[in-house]
Amino acid sequence: MPSTDTPPKNCNGAVSEAQQEHTLFREKDRGTTVPLQIEDWLTVIAMALLACITFANVLIRYFTNSSFAWTEEISIFLMIVLALVAGSAAAARNIHIRIEYFAEKGTSRRRRLLACFGAMLVFLLFVLLAILSGRLAWDDFRYGETSPGIGVPQWWYSLWLPLLSSAIALRALGLFIRKRRKK
Amino acid sequence: MIGTVLFLLFIVLMLAGVPIGAAMGFSAAVAIALANRDAQWFGLLAVPQNFYAGLGKYPLLAIPMFVLVGSIFDRSGVAQRLVTFAIAVLGRGPGMLPVVAISVAMLLGGISGSGPATAAAVGGVMILAMGRSGYPPAFSASVVGAASAIDILIPPSIAFIIYSVLAPGASVPAMFAAGMVPGILVGFSLMVPAVWLSRKYRMGLLEADLGKPPFWRSLREASWGLVAPILILGGMRAGWFTPTEAAVVAVFYGLFVGMAVYRTIGVRDLFEILRQSGELSAIILLVVALAGIFAYSLATLGIIDPITTAIVHSGLGEYGILTLLILLLITVGMFLDGISIFLIFTPILLPIAKFYNWDLVWFGVLLTIMVAIGQFTPPLAVNLMVSCRIAQISMEETVRWVLWLLAAVSCVLLLVIIFPGLALWLPRSLGY
Repeated sequence: MPSTDTPPKNCNGAVSEAQQEHTLFREKDRGTTVPLQIEDWLTVIAMALLACITFANVLIRYFTNSSFAWTEEISIFLMIVLALVAGSAAAARNIHIRIEYFAEKGTSRRRRLLACFGAMLVFLLFVLLAILSGRLAWDDFRYGETSPGIGVPQWWYSLWLPLLSSAIALRALGLFIRKRRKK
Repeated sequence: MIGTVLFLLFIVLMLAGVPIGAAMGFSAAVAIALANRDAQWFGLLAVPQNFYAGLGKYPLLAIPMFVLVGSIFDRSGVAQRLVTFAIAVLGRGPGMLPVVAISVAMLLGGISGSGPATAAAVGGVMILAMGRSGYPPAFSASVVGAASAIDILIPPSIAFIIYSVLAPGASVPAMFAAGMVPGILVGFSLMVPAVWLSRKYRMGLLEADLGKPPFWRSLREASWGLVAPILILGGMRAGWFTPTEAAVVAVFYGLFVGMAVYRTIGVRDLFEILRQSGELSAIILLVVALAGIFAYSLATLGIIDPITTAIVHSGLGEYGILTLLILLLITVGMFLDGISIFLIFTPILLPIAKFYNWDLVWFGVLLTIMVAIGQFTPPLAVNLMVSCRIAQISMEETVRWVLWLLAAVSCVLLLVIIFPGLALWLPRSLGY
């Protein structure tokens, strides 16, 4: 079953007892060598920036009747960064959407094998993505492409896909190693 | 041939518990490489290009914002106050608490965009309260699980945003408007068996004479929450904001309510709220991006055309195929969350819908109702799983109750199939 939800720790006293149950949902942040706070802080910054930029856009259009459409380019870039950075933390915490029904059944050996297999596949996919997108970024740099909205060099944006894909790949590798060790 | 490899690989990887996004991206990459054996880099440069193309769409920005809204309102204690207000209106008579749970889930559905989050917020308050009144936990969990599944029908809904990005001609406001009437119908249809069952089995009699909370005070406290859906939907309708902007306005409104009015959210909580909602958004967005690669390989390998031709010439007729689709999607909905289902199936199903000239907005609503049904159908129901964990029961215990609720929602599904106007009247009269 997919585990899309990261249930809230509620601060409302009346429900806290039931809400504590929710912490069962997530794999604890255990055993990562590189602290997950790196991704967490970047996630928080990206989310806050996204909200503020969009809100500023609404306000400015309201008071001045002019919009700055170029923020769209930055917002979309921020969203892509958010997806990759927070996705990297999610890879380490092993909470990406997946069908757990069959993978959580059977002997512990089978479960461990499937967990390792899943982590390895995520690793392979993002290594591939890092290499291929690195090639795209190199092309952007070589041919001096500029972005359609603001006109800054395109590689300022495209550079991040290979870098952050490698981060996800490394997190998946870390998960693979942790799953392998776990008896 | 390559098409078979693509689908087989994808299904095997998915069932083996590989994350859905990775299963899509990986099998698509393999298929692309197999199809372009002679091309430079095996044509694989299309992989990052489509990763960008899948993600770089402005309407998708609404997703992190609506996830953030849900997370803020979850913590603000709005759910508790809405419940108090609903009890003040409806009382504690036989069968009334389930109605309260369903109404509050519908209202919260009008604020947040994700079902499991609503199940957690409503379940956290209602399952305890219903337990004190003498409803068996299995019954409460079934009601909450089913009620929160309506969430993806009631705007704002993340599933609708994804569908409208995939289906040209079905804009986000049109989808939001189209979900409104069916969503409310599903809510009412759930109330019928809920009340009937509680009367029949004489549940919930323990606190019947406890008295109602004071009406005006609970209305005043709940009003902040009651205004939020009006702000979000009305603001979009009035043309004040795009969906993304409506979401961000709701974010700041929710922060104001949580931090200044209810004082349930402190500055320190902001980090956790932003982190959690950022992570949940990223989980959704990564699947969207990787599904972009999957859709590209489906389109360029010429896999969809033969499938469409085979299906429409199978001699089943329009309604036969619709019936098959219902069975297929409800089954898949038991295993998968709504967003993944939309991403996998929309590219395959759209040509069929176009062949029969089905209205794409109507079709999107149908798909969404089917997915909603799947999300509380045991044994693999996402929303029911959340509410069962809160109630600390196993999902098997809920079956005898859930079946009634399933039947009720299926009736609405049939109604929307027979009378497409139920979905299409509102968007048309609003001029979308």
